[in-house]
This record gives sequence, structure tokens and C-alpha cells, in this order.
Amino acid sequence: MIFLSLQAYLTFSLTLFLLLPLGALSRNRRLGVLAGLTVLGMLPLIQGMSLAGYLRGVTDDLACTSMVWLIAGALMRLGFISAWSRPRLMQLWICFAIAGALLFPAAMGVGMIDTYGWGFTPRPMLVGVAAVTLLMVFIRNAPGALLLLAASGAFVLDVKPSDNYWDYLLDPFIFLYSVGALAFTGVSWIASRKVRIARPISAMDGSLGKTDPAGRSNA
Amino acid sequence: MASSKESRSWQLWAFALIVPVFTAGWLNHPPYAMADFATYEFSASDESRQLDDVPLFEQQFASSDLDEFVHSPSVTALPDGDLLTVWFAGSREGAADVDIRAARYDALSGQWGAETALVDRETTRRSVGKPIRKLGNPVIALAPDERLWLFYVSVSVGGWAGSAINVMVSEDLGESWSKPRQLVTSPFVNISTLVRTSPVFHADGSIGLPVYHEFLGKFPEYLYLDAQGRIKDKFRIADGDNSLQPTIVPIDGKRAVALLRQAGENPHVLATITEDAGKTWLPEWPVTPWNPNASLAAVKSHRGSLLVAQNNLVDGRFRLTLDEADVDLVAWSMVAEVDASPDPEGDAIPRHLYEPMLETNFLSSSGSARRKLVDEYLKKLDRRMCKNNLCDFQYEYPSLIRAGDGRYHLVYVWNNSFIKHVAFNSAWVEAQL
Repeated sequence: MIFLSLQAYLTFSLTLFLLLPLGALSRNRRLGVLAGLTVLGMLPLIQGMSLAGYLRGVTDDLACTSMVWLIAGALMRLGFISAWSRPRLMQLWICFAIAGALLFPAAMGVGMIDTYGWGFTPRPMLVGVAAVTLLMVFIRNAPGALLLLAASGAFVLDVKPSDNYWDYLLDPFIFLYSVGALAFTGVSWIASRKVRIARPISAMDGSLGKTDPAGRSNA
Repeated sequence: MASSKESRSWQLWAFALIVPVFTAGWLNHPPYAMADFATYEFSASDESRQLDDVPLFEQQFASSDLDEFVHSPSVTALPDGDLLTVWFAGSREGAADVDIRAARYDALSGQWGAETALVDRETTRRSVGKPIRKLGNPVIALAPDERLWLFYVSVSVGGWAGSAINVMVSEDLGESWSKPRQLVTSPFVNISTLVRTSPVFHADGSIGLPVYHEFLGKFPEYLYLDAQGRIKDKFRIADGDNSLQPTIVPIDGKRAVALLRQAGENPHVLATITEDAGKTWLPEWPVTPWNPNASLAAVKSHRGSLLVAQNNLVDGRFRLTLDEADVDLVAWSMVAEVDASPDPEGDAIPRHLYEPMLETNFLSSSGSARRKLVDEYLKKLDRRMCKNNLCDFQYEYPSLIRAGDGRYHLVYVWNNSFIKHVAFNSAWVEAQL
């Protein structure tokens, strides 16, 4: 059996737990599902590699922010904490989408500036992330402050194999999730505006140019 | 009211945590001073100095397995004059049975010992905790503190573009090795960083590892590790999608030349220069020699020039030459043809004509210890060299070093079948010019 890090097992069980439709299962049964998924992720398959290991082969180690978000999501599904509000989520999505847009294209070779390299000499980044964390506190975004503090604390404690601050803050999955959520929100907003605009127009059908009894014209 | 109190409470807690967490982060990560490149003194003994007045050119096979496809060798010199070379071997490139092999050259007997498996897919899988599809591109180097470093790539998902770099270290000159661990070099699920060419060392023992990406772009980078093998920084050598496998040659403490494998349209070697020990690099430019999208190796010579082992061809890898360039990379000249196909155009040769040519080539290349393998090897002519009864000669993937005694050692792939070692000295180089 190949032993993996706690993070690898948690990534597997929490991801599946959040993806599975759990219907009206009670909290205890949901806890049972989570425990079952954890055991499933640990079971050795071919030549001792577990399902959690196979997932890690695709995802590598997730960023600490993603891990905290997954844990928070699981706690919400279990009813231990309440869901994060939409405006706070929106602030987080914007934050991670901007960070990802700054990191990934440059790290993949677009131009000579390698933003990923900034994470190896992280003092300027630490100042920037501290400022964003303070901003989160000021705008009362507790989830945002929690994610950034947890990731930075983990970086201080050197809990991941990476020596790069970025790897604690961001991974492609939290970036794609944030971009996807923003895109979905944007499309929904545009669609709802169209409906709102369309309604008054249809309500006015046939009245254009007519003069009401009070002598006012809408032309 | 209660909600406002709660909010103020968590805000106070957050403030109380922000200060120590970010202060600790700041203090834990002070800026570092990047050391100059290490410069080496070559100290030949009196005996070897006398011998070095006489041109020396020796060749023999470092590997001995007859069946397997071999690729991507790398060589390093050990303190007692021995050499250690590593390569990957298996039923084909990228096959699941590929492992990283090693062989040691005994300076006293002048012979290569038996090849051994240094690390395989299973060991890597267990150590890094990921499924591993294939291994490749081992690179070995002896650090100034006499620790041996081995870097190699592994792939969990996809092709070579999905590679990550693994590292092992030996404290006893290769007798035993640490478990492999993976370097995290990319934010994109740590894929697409490969190694192929030898690291260079800085004066404080820190390591400069030339690496390259080949996922969305093809571009080289300089990975800077401390003497314990932790990544300190990373610097881009070039961007875009046309250069790979930088071979870096320090000229002095600050200046180094990087020669790059051409992966774009213009079939010339690409080059660039750093003047600040690897932090920044000039825009790459094409230099005189041709490069058929093939790996090359270079070293600073006893004349202060560069010696470059390469396939100086527009297409194919049927001829390996040793060339000389000035350190500004303007004047190039061929020192010697190290190995070449009998066909000057490198065209495929019918099998019945090829076999006797290969036998002659084998006997002149293999050295006394491996010569006895010739008959068995010729019985196994296969797709490594021949397709549809047409066969090729291929000499590729050189690794070139200058050992502490001043001699040069070149290893390369001989017809996909053997790792060939060529040793020569300064007198031999002078005699060729």
C-alpha cells in the first residue's frame, strides 16, 4: 500500500462529497457518506496505489485556499456552518480570477516575465496578500480573510513540498471555478436584465404615440 | 446589535492573526544573494600531464544490455578519476518498463562496469505518491561538496509535456541514494518542466539546473536551487515556442553561454548569454551551426573556447561532430567528426549492406570489454535501427564534460542501442586543429 499525505485523501473524499447528490440525507448519514468516501479513497488498488493517489496524479496537491474552501463546503453540506453569502462569494471569485489571470498565462510562457517566479522570493507578494487580507477584513468578508490567512499560515509553516507562495494561494481548479462562477453569474445577470427590459416594452405594446386622457404623450 | 458585535469580534481576531502570520512570512523569506558561477582549476597529476602531451582518443560502450532502446545519457566525473553515466532504457521510449540505468567507469582498469538500474517507475511511484506512466531524461552531476545529484523526469498523465522533475541525492558517490522527491516547478498541476542537460554549480554550492517547458510553449528556464536542492528561484532564459534543452557553459563568475536546441522553423542552434550568473538572459539568436531539433552539449575548453558536441545537420542525426566556437559564438569550426553514417546524406541503407557496416562500427566503438557482444547484437537487429529492411545510423543526445584532470568525456546514444563513451585530451584536440 502506498501511503499518501492527509491532503491527498481529503482532496479525494471532500471533492466527491461535494459532487455527490445527497438528497434529504440526515447529517449523520452524510457524515457516514464522507467517512465512506475517505475509506474508498484510501483503499489500495493496482499495485498499492489508491483512488486518492490516482486523483493526485491528475490534480497534484491543491492550493491551501482550495483545501479550506473544500472543507468549508463540506461543513456547509453537513449543516455545521451556514452558506457563504453571494456578495462575499463574488468578491472571492473576482480575487481568484484576477490572481489566476496574472499567474497562469505568464507561467506558461507568454512573454519573458515569469510571475510564478515571484512566489520563490515572496516578500512583495506577502505585502500584497496581506493588503488583500486586510481589505477582506474591512469589507467584512470573513471567508476571504480565512482563505488567505490559512494559505499564508501554511506557507510560513512550510507544510507543502513546494517552495513557492503561489502554490499555497492558487491552483488551476480554484481559478477555473472562479472564472466559471463569474461567467455564469454574468450570463445570468444579462439574461435577467433582458427579461426585465423586455417586460416593460411588451407592456407598452400598442400604446406608443397615443395620448392619455390627461393630454400627456409618451412619444 | 449582536451581529455587529460578532463581526467586530472576528475582525479583531483576524487583525490579531494577520500581523504575526505575515511578519513570520516576511522574516522566513529574506532576499538571497545569488553566488557567482563556480570556476574550476584543472589539476592534472605529473604523470597524466606527461601523458596529456600525447593525443589521447579512446572509445567504448558504457552500456551492455543488448535488447533495449537506450536514450538520453548524462555523465559526471568522480573525485578519484572514475566516471558515472546514467541513461534511460526500456523496450521503447516512453514504455512502462523504462528505468534509469547507471554504469561506473573504473579509471584504473579503464573499463566500464556492469550497468545497473538506479531507479524505476515503481520506486518513483511509491516515493512521490502518484501514478507514474513513464520515466526519462536522467541528468547526473557531482556538486563541489561531493554530493551526487540525479535529476530525471516522470510523467503521470499525458505525454512528455506532462513531465515533472524528480531529484535524488547520494552522499557516498553513488553507492546509495535518497528516495526520489518531486520538485514543484509549475503552478499548472506541476506539469511540463523537463530536464535534459547538466546542471552548473555556483561558488557557494548552489545548483543551476537548466530546464525547459514543452506544454503550450517550448522555452528554456534556469532553475536555481540551494546546496540542499530546494528551489530558491527560477529565471526565464527565453520565451515562445521554439527552444529547448539549454546547455549552459559558465565562462567566468558572472558570464555564461546557453546553447539551445532548435524546436522552431529556422534550423540553426539558438544561443543566449547571461552576464549576471543566470538571472537575466539576452534575447536568443540563431548561430552558425545547423540543428535538426536535436539535443547538444558544450563545455569550456582548455583554449578558453567552447567545445560543442552536436548534430550539425539540417535534418537527421546521422553524424555527430565536435565543433569549436569562440565565447562570443561568432567563429565556428569543426574539430572532428566523432561518429557518422557511411552514407554522407544519411540515407537509409538496405539491411544486407547495413549489417557489415554496423559490425565494423561496433567493433571500433565498443571497446575490448563489450567487443564479444557483437555476434549476439547483430542477431538482434530490430526496429531500433531498421524498418522495412532499410536501416539508419544515428548518433545523438551527447553529454560532454571536462573532468578534474582536464580530460574530456563525451557520452552519446549509439544507434539507439548503446551508450558510447569517448574520452580525449587537450593534445588530441590540438592535433585536430
